[in-house]
Amino acid sequence: MTLRFPFTVRSPLPPVFASSLHRCLSIPSPSSSSSPTPLPSSDRRPPLFLRPPTFAASRSDLHDFRRWAESLALAAGPRISASDGGPDAALLRREIAWLVEDATVAAASESGVGEELRLRVELEELYRLWRARIEERRPFQYIVGCEHWRDLVLVVKEGVLIPRPETEMVVDLVAEVEGFEKGLWADLGTGSGAIAVGIGRMLQEGGRVFATDLSPVALEVARLNVERYELKDKIELRRGSWFEPLRDVEGKLTGLVSNPPYIPSSHVPGLQAEVGQHEPKLALDGGEEGMDHLLHLCEGSASALKSGGFFAFETNGDEQSEFIADLMSIKFGNFFHNIKLIPDFAGIQRFVTGFRR
Amino acid sequence: MAGFFFLFVKRSFSNPPRFLLSPKIPILCSSTSSLASSSQTLARAFKNVVGGGISGFPRVSVPRWLSSQSAAVPDLKTADGLTVDAIAAKNWPILGESESDWRSHAAAIAQSIQLIKKRMQWRKLIVRLDQMSAALNKPDLWDDPVSAGRISREHGELLSKMKEVNGYEQELLEHIDLMKLAREENDEELEWESMKALVSMRRNAKEKELEALLSGDHDSCSCFIEVQAGAGGTESMDWAAMVMNMYKSWAQRRGFVVTIVEEMPGEIAGIKRATIKVDGDYAFGYAKAEVGVHRLVRISPFDSGKRRHTSFAAVAVIPILGDGSTRYQIKESDLRIERFRASGAGGQHVNTTESAVRIVHIPTGISATCQNERSQHSNKASAMAVLQSRLDQLEMARQAQLNAEHTRSLTDISWGNQIRTYVLHPYRMVKDLRTNYEVSDPESVLGGDLDGFILNFLSYLLDKDEANV
Repeated sequence: MTLRFPFTVRSPLPPVFASSLHRCLSIPSPSSSSSPTPLPSSDRRPPLFLRPPTFAASRSDLHDFRRWAESLALAAGPRISASDGGPDAALLRREIAWLVEDATVAAASESGVGEELRLRVELEELYRLWRARIEERRPFQYIVGCEHWRDLVLVVKEGVLIPRPETEMVVDLVAEVEGFEKGLWADLGTGSGAIAVGIGRMLQEGGRVFATDLSPVALEVARLNVERYELKDKIELRRGSWFEPLRDVEGKLTGLVSNPPYIPSSHVPGLQAEVGQHEPKLALDGGEEGMDHLLHLCEGSASALKSGGFFAFETNGDEQSEFIADLMSIKFGNFFHNIKLIPDFAGIQRFVTGFRR
Repeated sequence: MAGFFFLFVKRSFSNPPRFLLSPKIPILCSSTSSLASSSQTLARAFKNVVGGGISGFPRVSVPRWLSSQSAAVPDLKTADGLTVDAIAAKNWPILGESESDWRSHAAAIAQSIQLIKKRMQWRKLIVRLDQMSAALNKPDLWDDPVSAGRISREHGELLSKMKEVNGYEQELLEHIDLMKLAREENDEELEWESMKALVSMRRNAKEKELEALLSGDHDSCSCFIEVQAGAGGTESMDWAAMVMNMYKSWAQRRGFVVTIVEEMPGEIAGIKRATIKVDGDYAFGYAKAEVGVHRLVRISPFDSGKRRHTSFAAVAVIPILGDGSTRYQIKESDLRIERFRASGAGGQHVNTTESAVRIVHIPTGISATCQNERSQHSNKASAMAVLQSRLDQLEMARQAQLNAEHTRSLTDISWGNQIRTYVLHPYRMVKDLRTNYEVSDPESVLGGDLDGFILNFLSYLLDKDEANV
């Protein structure tokens, strides 16, 4: 069965469209069950909101798109959220508004004048993107190519973990450390560079962040973000596994932060489709207990940090955090003190922090 | 105006007309000063120029009310002793603007000034200014820097508000003096200039009358507008959404910037509750007139029996005081910040664009939620702004209770009683229950044409106050 794009129909969508769509969607399409194929054509292109507005569409064309996209969202939302906790219809509708916001030129969309709207993608591409969102469960952030995180708009794309809202707090934890502004910091497994950019923007003269990652794709994206926020003189990107690329600053670091992969391997197959089928396993899978990398970080921190140095790790929550905190205060108690568990806004003990003696 | 001033100075240097040498000099000097935008500076500059450059001007002085820091209110008069009230009392016939009759212009302006003063509650302002001045002179003022800052800010605002009106009064009196002089001296050019100035004053007067309606403490602030559906399910949630749309269109028409802060949609249609932020000068001053319960009567499209329904939506309006003037100091430790609608493991397990945050202020139980921003950080900042404004409002209400004079603002701002009825069936009408102002075209009102209701209520409010004084 083939799905036809509604824009080939040309006329406003008939009311039966939603139901026929539902029928289409209930038949699993071959592409959504297999592993996702990153769209190589779109891969090299900048995120939607940074593309030049070289396309045009009429106001009513865009209105038709919204109606079509919303009918898709209303039909698919309940099923998606019930199946694996994915987005519901209300959230999908908000995403449509943001997709349009990113794809159109803001000034034109605000004013009521002029029938033509300037677009950053072809209208047909907009249909394709939203269909991928619903049918393939492609994460919204990959669709628009960016994630709003703290007060930043970070570039993201397939192959790099989409920074989570919880992780925003790591930057706040760093900001509470006395004298952090002039220190040397390391963000291990930086991914999109979110934490590094968040810290880098607060640093003063002499302050520096070393951001490492094993993945070349991640480093490429991180570089884009560092450049976009003009932090090239504050953030140094280094390729390699965890502490490996940081031998030259061993024992000199003011602080160490990381959001390492922490999901237990056994949970990976059951993950929400957006995560399990689209985001890089490298950034998610933490081994049998989920703590392979966290344990490695704990062991390496003592020699990486200078005396008085600070660490903050994100974990899978409650149990993992307690385990890590115990490890740091009992087994490594000679090296660390003032170990704390910090909850995220959902009340889950998400972070472990402490200081090098 | 400034151009006129320079022209005037130049003339006085090259070939001073005779009237400049008359004993009425002080008035002329102050006339030029109040015509200029920065009156004090220019008055001083003029004084220097005159003092240094020309001899024989013994009585050059800056008017007392401009130079003095005290709360003294001047008694403004023309050279022959006319006050603004006296001019208004003369009942000179007011003709059209195009008529070249200076008395008619002067009478119209004098009437406007009286109205402006009435709307500003001038007598109350004088009392308040004296209180503030007295408070400022207390030696222990700065023992409480927060309250000291507030007092000196209020004093400054009050003073500048009153100076503006006094300046306007002064301007009228001086033009009258000039006009009389010009006629005595047969100086046609000056007469023409004065006539022109009076006409332009008269044109501005209407605008100033309107501005005077918005002279409350926080009227110039931006604000939040909140709409909440009453009991009655989908029909009343639909009504709440209609009311919210009415405010969005009204605000956009007025050139305010509207941002949705929070929106709780109804299950089938409409909204349970929503908050928008309205950014712009005097947004609060206008929107405060809308506080209360709005009632709708219509055949419900959600009722298959096509029966007539009555539903209610409550509207609250909260001023955004802005940095530096917040009334309530929030302690970080008093806050509980929660992820809104969070479930499951979170973190790397979940990909979601939902990052709504609810902030609860534990001591008061007041909370705020924002879900429309694209990052948690921004949602939190936005919710925090709402919370700050709510706590500020609470604090203002508390202080108002202590200070009986301001009790009115308490009842105005809090969730009020039913204020307006919108009937779509069996007849069509929107009627304000406070002012009895009514319109027979509900569509235009629901489309945002609210100014008639708002201005009527604002003037009604002042009349009521006047009666209470």
